Amino acid sequence: MKEILVLAALLLASPGAWAQHAAQELDFVPPAPGTYELQHILRAPEGTVLDGEGEAKRFSRFTTGRITVLSLIYTRCGDGRGCPLASYMLKSLKARIDKRGGWSDLLRFVSLSFDPDHDTPAVMRAYGGGYAPDRIGLPWHFLTTRSHRELRLLLDGFGQDVWMPADPSAPATGPLPHVLKIFLIDRHGSIREIYTTSFLQPQMVLNDIETLLLEDGARLD
Amino acid sequence: METSKTHAAAWLGALVLCATSLAAADETCNSPYIGNLIKGQEDYLYVWALGEKGLGDGSDKLVTIDAKPGSAKYGKVIHKVSVGSRGEAHHMGLTDDRRFLWAGGLDDSKIYVFDIAKDPGRPRLVKTIADLPAKTGYVGPHTFYALPGRMLVQALSNSKDHGGVTGMAVYNTKGELVTTYAMPTDNGGDGYGYDVAVNPQKNVLLTSSFAGWNNYMMDFGKLVKDPEAMKRFGSTMVVWDLKAMKPTKILSVPGAPLEIRWSLKQGDNWAVTATALTSKIWLIKQDASGDWQGQAVADIGDPAKIPLPVDISISADGKGLWVNTFMDGKTRYFDLSNPAKPVQAYEKVTGKQVNMISQSWDGKRVYVSSSLLANWDKKGADNEQFVRAFNWNGKELTPAFEVDFLEQKLGRAHHMKLGSKALKTAFNDAVQR
Repeated sequence: MKEILVLAALLLASPGAWAQHAAQELDFVPPAPGTYELQHILRAPEGTVLDGEGEAKRFSRFTTGRITVLSLIYTRCGDGRGCPLASYMLKSLKARIDKRGGWSDLLRFVSLSFDPDHDTPAVMRAYGGGYAPDRIGLPWHFLTTRSHRELRLLLDGFGQDVWMPADPSAPATGPLPHVLKIFLIDRHGSIREIYTTSFLQPQMVLNDIETLLLEDGARLD
Repeated sequence: METSKTHAAAWLGALVLCATSLAAADETCNSPYIGNLIKGQEDYLYVWALGEKGLGDGSDKLVTIDAKPGSAKYGKVIHKVSVGSRGEAHHMGLTDDRRFLWAGGLDDSKIYVFDIAKDPGRPRLVKTIADLPAKTGYVGPHTFYALPGRMLVQALSNSKDHGGVTGMAVYNTKGELVTTYAMPTDNGGDGYGYDVAVNPQKNVLLTSSFAGWNNYMMDFGKLVKDPEAMKRFGSTMVVWDLKAMKPTKILSVPGAPLEIRWSLKQGDNWAVTATALTSKIWLIKQDASGDWQGQAVADIGDPAKIPLPVDISISADGKGLWVNTFMDGKTRYFDLSNPAKPVQAYEKVTGKQVNMISQSWDGKRVYVSSSLLANWDKKGADNEQFVRAFNWNGKELTPAFEVDFLEQKLGRAHHMKLGSKALKTAFNDAVQR
């Protein structure tokens, strides 16, 4: 119950930061979809994850077959410009994509926790319920891992940092500082773009998704 | 204990890991994608030093100096990692998460990756990339600039003729080559490269231009007497569409424009550079129509005397600029309150030869190193090799500590980066759980 209350508090507290960030208009005209190339940066790592029901699954089930937008998060994150920002941006993108129609069957979102001690499948399920309660349209998976060992393989694969608290005596429930990163993965499991806060503009993400869809030969009427 | 708490608080205050904007200052001159800038007191100064034959092991090495006032080893070398060869060590760059420090050799074109996160006081060499020329055709990896999950490497030369036509290479975090981008040779481009700097808010990458291997490896006295060689210096800057990585405009900037520093003030739309051969500060700015323009806005010393401006460092508020001039050994401070009219406000001779300059985020500490290039450094008694730390009170530089790189058989001191002991990664010891 306490965890649900914390989640509720985060959900209520964060929209301001998100709205502020989203309101920042692009200070440039982005290149049109399909007029630029997204490089093959890295292969998405393989590993084992737990889905919202606690079932162990190969991670590649969530990084191949569709274009994937993946966010590495932890649900306790209280930085309004951190994990909540990432999740709110995905929520906003999902609404735009579902409203647009035609893309929902070609894409998926994934939020993967790097705090397995706290973020159990049940916690991730509750967290996901806050951001994607209707379970319709574009699928959004909220995943965690069984252990630090399995998590470490995925973090290393993505090149995602997580830092020690500045105060070593801080409780294990303290913050997990990290550089916010969101990954755009093509349907073959290749990471094609990485967004950090400075780069996190919804229109740019949509343009990049459309660029990958065009690359796949999709008709974008 | 109180000091420790203060330090931790200062660092935590700077720990905007999840929320970076265009705010990056050496500490003020890092990529804007580096989120965890050290805004409090740094603990370490990392120095990438060129090996010198007959001095110590003669190899290039990463030297770590204790830079924390009050520490028992303050101002002392506490660690060094030799790479086992001499390849003209030059510049370094931090990855976006600050876990790794990439460093390059201009002669052997090797790239070294040091882990500075597991034990920040004892960097470890974890990877060597030795196939840059073979895979890209480029020679002389110079600038290492963090992009999200990637490292953008600007080369200076090419393996075909060792001239100045070159390009950029992008590597992923595993050190694998992702792609390359040639410097433009059409529409006025000279194809040369030197520094790179990004303004994400404008979707702009700026690049500058220097010289190829034939020039930077030539003896300096011989070079200046070779009129043909003296023609082979860069005279352009390139404005790129960052997202598309396509050049959009070539700016004519004669005299080898070197380091590029964007103003770090939110919303500012300008950068500055210094031209080595013509000794001028240039302002790169959007005009009223949004078009990028370059303009010489100030002399650095007396250009007729060729003081040879080298490194520059902009203050976090964008209102001041340090400029080192190699030939006269001066460290100069320019008031940038009006970037269109910089005014020199201070100067001090900080060595017989000075090259790189790095300042802390708060601007209170300034570090100066001595070496430009092995074959360009002065000879005899003028060939001082050092790192000198100064305190800056806004009016005067006062010495804090000095490390003599010749006396300690470390080589020639070149690029410097700051480090913090608070920056340690999680999960290193918890992986078994």
